[in-house]
Amino acid sequence: MIINLILKLRLIIGLLILMTVWQAVALAELVNPKYFPRIDAIVVAFRDMIAEDNLLEAAQLTFSRAFMGLIGASALGIGLAILSEVLPWFRLGFRVIANVLLPIPPAALVPMAIFMLGLGPELYAFIILMVAVWPPFLNGVAALHGTNDVQLRTARMLGCTDWQTLWQVRLPAAMPEIFAGIRYAATICLIAAIVCEMLAGRDGLGFMLFKKAFGQRIPDVFALMFLCALMGAVLNGATNFARHWVTGWNLKMQEVAR
Amino acid sequence: MEIILAARHVSKSYGAAPIIRGLGFTFHAGEFVSLVGPSGCGKTTLLMCLAGLLPIDAGVLTFQGKPVVGVPDGMAVVFQDYSRSLFPWKTNLENVRFGTRRSTGLSRANATERARALIDAVGLSGYEDHYPWQLSGGMQQRIAIARGLASQSRLLLLDEPLAAVDAQTRADLQDLLLSLAQRFNQTCLLVTHDVDEAVYMADRVLVLAPRPTQIDMEVRVELRKARDQISSREEPEFLRARHEILSRIRAMRKPGVTIGDH
Repeated sequence: MIINLILKLRLIIGLLILMTVWQAVALAELVNPKYFPRIDAIVVAFRDMIAEDNLLEAAQLTFSRAFMGLIGASALGIGLAILSEVLPWFRLGFRVIANVLLPIPPAALVPMAIFMLGLGPELYAFIILMVAVWPPFLNGVAALHGTNDVQLRTARMLGCTDWQTLWQVRLPAAMPEIFAGIRYAATICLIAAIVCEMLAGRDGLGFMLFKKAFGQRIPDVFALMFLCALMGAVLNGATNFARHWVTGWNLKMQEVAR
Repeated sequence: MEIILAARHVSKSYGAAPIIRGLGFTFHAGEFVSLVGPSGCGKTTLLMCLAGLLPIDAGVLTFQGKPVVGVPDGMAVVFQDYSRSLFPWKTNLENVRFGTRRSTGLSRANATERARALIDAVGLSGYEDHYPWQLSGGMQQRIAIARGLASQSRLLLLDEPLAAVDAQTRADLQDLLLSLAQRFNQTCLLVTHDVDEAVYMADRVLVLAPRPTQIDMEVRVELRKARDQISSREEPEFLRARHEILSRIRAMRKPGVTIGDH
C-alpha cells in the first residue's frame, strides 16, 4: 500500500527532496550564493520572465519545435526503414550515407544550415531530423528484418501478399522496438532544438538561456534550466502515451511474462 | 472418392543434402491421415512443401487437381509453435477473424460472426477480447485451430500441433480436433512423432522413412470414426496398428545410431 503510493508519487517526492536539499545548500551558503541562488529567488525570476520576457511564448516555441521534430523524425525513420527493407539497393546505398551522417553532432550542423536555410522553421526541421531520425530508423531496420519465421509463414498461409505482410504483420511486430528508438529520439529532439536556438540566436528557450547567461542573470538561467527539464519530462510523457497507445499489447505481455 | 492432395515422385534438397526423395501418396476428401516418423526425418519440411510454403525440386504435387505453387486457397495450416504463430498484437477474435481473409466477399460483420462461432466451437467463448498471451498453451492452440478453420478450407494441415502441450490437454485437444474435423467436414493431415496419437486420430497412418524421406509403410486403422480416449486405445485394432508401426520405426533405426529429438 504505502510502497505503491510512494511509487506513484515518486516524481513529486523526488522533486521535493531535490528542492529541500537545494534550499539547504543555498541557505548554508556552501557554494558561492551568486552562482547558487535560493529556490525562492529562482521562482521570482521565473515569474518575472513570464511577465517581462514572454517566457511562455518562448517555451511554446521550443516545445513545438522539439515535438514536431520528433513526429517528423519518427515518421521519416520508419519510412526509411521500410524502404530499406523493401528495396535492397536502397538499403546498401543508404547505409553508406547513414554511416557518414550518423556521428555528426547537431551543433556542428547549425552554421552551415543557417547559410543554406536561413533562420526560419526549415532550419529547425533540418537539424532535428538530421540528428533524431537515426534511432527509429536503425531500430526499425533491425526489427523489420528480424520478424520471426513462424509469423511470416502464418501470414503467407493466411493469404497475405508481401505488402499486406509488411503492414499487417512485420510493422506491428516491429513497433515495440521502433518505439524504443522514438523514446531515445525524443531526448535528442529537445537537445537539438535548444542547441539550434542558442546558435541561431533569435528566439526560443535556447536563445533566452544564452542571453541570460551572458547577462549573468543566474536565477533566470536556473529557472530556464528547470523549465527545460520539465519540457523533457513532458516530451517523454507524450512519447510514453503514444507508446502505450500503439504497443500497449507488448507492455502488458511483458508484465504477464514477468 | 475425390482426390484432394496427391504427390508423385516429390523430391526436395537443402543444398546437396536430399531431404525428401521420390515421395508419393494420395489423400481423399474426408480422410484423416497421420504422417508419423522418427525425429529428424524431414516431417516438417514435407509439410511445408505440401502447404506450398517451400518449393519442391522435382515431382508433381497437386491440390484439388491443380499444381501447388504458393499456399493454395482451400488449404490451412496449424503450426506447432502457437505462441509465435498467433499475432500477439491482435485479440483472440481479431486473430481468428484474420484467418477468414482467404474467404473472398465476406463482409466484416460476417467475418466477425464466423470468428465468434469458431471461438465458441473450440470452447473459448468469453475469451474473444483477451490476447493470446493471456491464455494457457492449450487454449492458445485452440485459438490457432479456430483460425485454421476460419477460412473454411478443405484441407487442414496440422504440424505437430499438440507436441508442446501437457498430456491431459493433448488428449482433450485430440478429441476436439476429431470432432471439429467431422463437424466442419475437413480433410486433415496430421504430422506427428507420437505413434499413439497418429493411430488414435487417423483413418490411415503413413510411416515415413528417415532421410531422404519417403513413405515407408501405410497402415489402415479400422476403428469406428467416433473415438474414445479409453476404449479406442484398448481395442485390438488400435494395439495391432500401434505394434506394426512401432516395430517398423524401431527396425528403421540403424544399430548403434540413436535417434533423439533433433
